[in-house]
This record gives sequence, C-alpha cells and structure tokens, in this order.
Amino acid sequence: MTIPGDKAPERHKTGWKYLPSMSLRNRMAFYYTVATAFLMAVVFAAILLLVDRIVFMHFDEELRHEVAETFEDAHVKGQVFSGFDSFRAINGTEGEAEEHEGQAKKKELDSEFIQLVDSSGRIVSKSANLSQNILTVNPAYSGVRYFNSLVGGEQVRQVQVPLVNSKGITEAYLVVAVPMKSAMLVLLDLQNIMLVSFPVIILILFILTRVIAGRSIRPVEKVIATAQSMTQVNLDQRIPLPHNQDELYRLSATINALFDRLQDAFQREKQFTADASHELKTPLAAVKGTLEVLVRKPRDTAHYEERIRYCLDELSRMARLIDQLLMLARYENDTMNPNIAKIDIAVSLKSVISRLEPLAVEKLISIRMENTPSGTVAADPAMLEMMIGNILSNAIKYSPAGSSIEIGTARRSSLLVCSITDHGVGIPEEKLQNVFDRFYRVDASRSSSTGGFGLGLSIVRKLADLQHIGISVSSRENAGTTFELTFPSA
Amino acid sequence: MRLLVIEDETGIARFLKEGLEEEYFAVDVAFDGKSGLDLAMTNDYDLIMVDWMIPGISGVEVCKQIRRSGSSVPILFLTARDTLEDVVFGLDSGANDYIKKPFEFEELLARIRVQLRKNNQDTDALTVGTLTINAVTHQVFCGSKEFTLTPKEFALLDYLVRNKDRPCSRSRIIEHVWDMHFYSDTSVIDVYINFLRKKLEQAGCGNLIQTIRGVGYIVRETRPESE
Repeated sequence: MTIPGDKAPERHKTGWKYLPSMSLRNRMAFYYTVATAFLMAVVFAAILLLVDRIVFMHFDEELRHEVAETFEDAHVKGQVFSGFDSFRAINGTEGEAEEHEGQAKKKELDSEFIQLVDSSGRIVSKSANLSQNILTVNPAYSGVRYFNSLVGGEQVRQVQVPLVNSKGITEAYLVVAVPMKSAMLVLLDLQNIMLVSFPVIILILFILTRVIAGRSIRPVEKVIATAQSMTQVNLDQRIPLPHNQDELYRLSATINALFDRLQDAFQREKQFTADASHELKTPLAAVKGTLEVLVRKPRDTAHYEERIRYCLDELSRMARLIDQLLMLARYENDTMNPNIAKIDIAVSLKSVISRLEPLAVEKLISIRMENTPSGTVAADPAMLEMMIGNILSNAIKYSPAGSSIEIGTARRSSLLVCSITDHGVGIPEEKLQNVFDRFYRVDASRSSSTGGFGLGLSIVRKLADLQHIGISVSSRENAGTTFELTFPSA
Repeated sequence: MRLLVIEDETGIARFLKEGLEEEYFAVDVAFDGKSGLDLAMTNDYDLIMVDWMIPGISGVEVCKQIRRSGSSVPILFLTARDTLEDVVFGLDSGANDYIKKPFEFEELLARIRVQLRKNNQDTDALTVGTLTINAVTHQVFCGSKEFTLTPKEFALLDYLVRNKDRPCSRSRIIEHVWDMHFYSDTSVIDVYINFLRKKLEQAGCGNLIQTIRGVGYIVRETRPESE
C-alpha cells in the first residue's frame, strides 16, 4: 500500500530542486529580485566604466593641452626637435618658483609636471615641482603615448612626446604628467557607494516585492481557504470574486463553476442514495412489520396465506429493484465494457418484439414494424436488446388497451435512426428532460399500479452512452411518446 | 387510546392498524397528507404517526401545521430517511420522536408508550387505590389478584385511569377509545361501564368509576371513611 502523504514531498523536491518548498510569494519576490540585481549590476558596472573613461579622457585632454602650451612657450612647431635651448622655459619655471617657494610649492605639486629627456635617457630639464622625482620614460614606446604611472608614490597620468629631428631620428622626449589622486578618490568613492548601496537596494527591493506579491496573491489565499474548508456538508460555499476581472477573477470563477458541478453531482448522488434507500426500506419495513404482527397471535390459515403471499410479492419486487440497481452500478462504474459489433438492427428488434409480444397481446396492443427495418449498426447486441426492451416495455405499460406501437428505422444524413412510438398518455413537456433520471417517475401515483421504479430509462441512457448511441424523446400529452435512437455510422 | 397513522404505503398502513388494534388502540389511517391533516384537525388523537414522504402535503408540513394549530399531540415520525440531517430536521419540525424504517414492531409500541406516559411516570403500571393496570402486558390487578378484561373493557379502563381524578365526557371517551368507523350512540359506553364496574366489584376494588350526571364518568380513589 502506498501512503499518499509519502509521495507528495518527493514530487515537490524534484520539481523545485533549488528552491525547496518556497512559497509562490517568496518565489515571485526572489525571481524579481534576482533579475533586478543582475540588471543593476550591469548598470552599475557600465556607469563605473564610463566615468572611468571620461576621467581619463579629461586627463588626456589636459595633457594634450599642456604639451601644446609647452611647445608654444618653446616656439617649437609640432614634434620637431630644434635643440634643447628652446625648452628653457621648463627650467625657467623652476627659477620663478624659488622666489615664493613655501606657498607655491604645494600648489605646483597639484599642477602638471614637465620633463625633457634626451634619447639616451638623460634628463635635460624638468619642472621645479618634480624636485627629486623623475618621470618615467619608456623609449620602447613609439609616437605619442598616454599612460598611467607613479611619481613619488602618487598616481599620475602622463604623456610621452618624442621630438624628432629633420632626419627623422628621435632626439629627445617631452614628458608631461598630471596628478590623478583627487579624481581617483572620487572614482573610488563612487565605486564604494555602489558596492554598499547594491545589497541594500536589493534587500529593500526583495522585501517590497514580497509585500506586493503577497498582496497580489491574497485572492489565492482566499481560494485556498475556501477550498480547504469545503466539505460534504458545506458544499454551498463559494470563493468571493475579486473586483478586477483579471486572471485571479477567472481562476476563482472557474473554481466556483467546478464547485457548482461538484455540488450538483453530489446532490444528485445524495438524492439517488436517498431514493434507493427509500425504495428498498419501504417494502422491507412492510414485510418485516407484516410478519411481526402476524406472529404475535395465532390466526386462521387464509389470513396467513394472504399475508405470506403479500410478503412474497414485496420481496420479488425488491429483488427486481436490487437487480436493476446492481446493473446500473456496474454500468456506472464502467466495469461492463460493450462488445461492439456490426449487427443487423432488424434481428435485435425482432428478438425483443417476440419476447415482449405476450405482454402486448394481454393488453390488446399491436406492435407494428412501419417499414422493414434494416441496416447494420455498431452496437453491443445484448445491450442494444436491453435498451430496446426497456423502451418497448415502457411503451406497452403506458399505452391504453387496443392501441398500437410503431417501430421504424430511417436514414437521416447517413445515420441510422430507430424510433419507437406509442399512443399512450404521453409525458408533459416540463417533465420530458427528467425521464432519464434515476428513480424519476413522471407521475408518482402511477408507480404502484405499474410497478416500475423509474430506473428503466436511466439504464437505457447509460447503455446508450456506453455505445455512443444518441437518444432523444419527444412527446405530446394524451397523444403519445416517441423515443429515437441514433446510431453512429457503422 | 386513539391513534392516527398517516402512511401512503398500504402494506405498512395495514400492519400498523392491525397490530396496534391488537394492542387495544383505536387506529385511524390516512393515505395522504391532505386527508391526514384533515383527520388530525377534526379528531382528538392521543398520538399521530406520520410518514415523511407521502403524496400531497409532506409529513414535515403536516407536522408543522398540526403544531401551528396549537395542538401538542405527540407526533411520531415514521420514515425511511435516515441521515442525521433528516432526523434533526424531522424533530425540529415539531415531531416528538423519530423511528426509522424498517423498525421492530415492539420498539414502535415502546416508543408509543413513552409518548403516552403522562407527567413522566417512570413505569407503565397505572394505579388507582388497589387497582393496578399494566399497559405493556395488558394485565389488571386488584391488590395482587389478577383478573381479566376484554380488549374494549381494558381500553376503556386504561383511558379512565390515565385521566384519573378528571371527569371524562362520553364524547371524549368515544373519541379516544373507539376509532372513526364507530358511529353508534354513546350509550354503548354505559354498557361497557356496567361491565367494568361489575368486574371491579368482583375483584374487590370497590366502586372506582363514578357517574357525573349529565357529563360522563370519573375514576378516583374512594375513601371508605368519607362514605
């Protein structure tokens, strides 16, 4: 035996391997947060990269400007080398600086460094603010080159401009550098702010989305609560419908419709059980009571005989009811599968008529075959005979003496239709739809005289469904009733 | 004691009438709700048995209408419906008791006796002076000496003793001891009273049944010293 409780968690585990038993609300918040975190990380990285680029762009722009100014001061055009003397101005700044040293030095340290180096690497001149420090020169670089470097332990951005003589040989390098310390600090701050704010934002976002998700799935909680509290006794409960006609509205409405059908089916089942128990218990009570009273006192033989006969009649009526109930139960449980075969309907009709003819003759009713019924149909022969038999015996039961019953077959849009028409009391329009219901009797007071239980036609309907035979009934009061069987194309 | 049975199933109605009459009850039978209600409203029954599912007016409705008319007659529901809701609903509609079909006839009798017991007597033995009658076994005793009565005599004495110290008019006695098929004049009571008086005298119970001129009869304990 399998315990249902054992299976559920296992399926749960395989379904959500990485998110074990997370509520929908948390899952929604989780997915949303992960997606947002990824997006934010990308945006933050892009911002950092862009700012970094812009900062260096600005440094490089400043350096270019500085180089141009230096060339201008030296009255040199472009990168043409015209002797070291032209760059005296670099040294000159050193001289000027000496006059108001102390105060100026700090300021100078924040501004650009300039250095002139010859091709062998010897420093020809350098700006005063460099003092003991020298700027890195890399002869391996060709052309104008911007790069990061260190001066006295401080980060600088520098440019190296080769000075070329008329023969095209590099004679010297002009190196200009600007300190990056403050800009780098700003960049670092930005990076730190982003690193710290990222998890905080994500956490806040998760909490917020969890609240919002919780709020938006609250109707689902209502659905769960209602469905959980639903039992056999309070099947009339329904889920309150939300105001907005959204997916949750549709879900609630769909579940309510399901409850309606469930309640209806349950009600019908309950009614059936009540009817069946009433139908069985009433004759049982009558037999039991009759016999109990009978044995309380000695009575004459005729009295005994009459009462025993009555009890036997009641018992055989009960036996018939039990047979019909069992048959219905077997068909309903689908334990009886139809043996569908291609059969001649005329054979089935003749077999049923010959079986029921004596009943009809007793009531002086004639059964007429309107035309020679013919045609091959796909049906279970035994089931088909039972269906026709039930309909025909009903027709005989409700037909007045001396009337006739017509049986005919016809083709209607390539489908074979078999009709059985009586000229009896008929069925009122409003009761026509119920005739196939179990234990339904058109006229309750008619039951005792005809001895039916109201199960015959429900068995017919069940058998028709099993064999995919269409069944319909039409009737006019005091004129007669027609049952029609429409067979699927064989 | 006169009972009304409202039951559409002829087999059940027949054995109830037969069996109950053999228990000295006067029994009327109605086969549908409408005629049952009519009978219940016109006659003074000691107990009414109603089947739930009867043609016309349902048993529950019959029960409700009887109660609405102000009657407190004991009503016993007799039905094949047996779910808890049905039992509760039946009792809530005004019935005093509920018996499920199929039932034991003995149990039905016991339940009828419970409803007929007045003032919550704890036994089915009724006594007046030295007279004791047992409603279950239908035995009558004077002191410890048993004597026999015919069913009608027993029914009459049973009714008078149940209403001891209360004057019973002839018409009331007719209503409660004879069924509706009895249309004869009330002088038949005087005949039965005479029979009863003789038998009681012979048994040594004295003159328990006294005549109230112009009204009827009363059963009360006679005190020799006051005579």
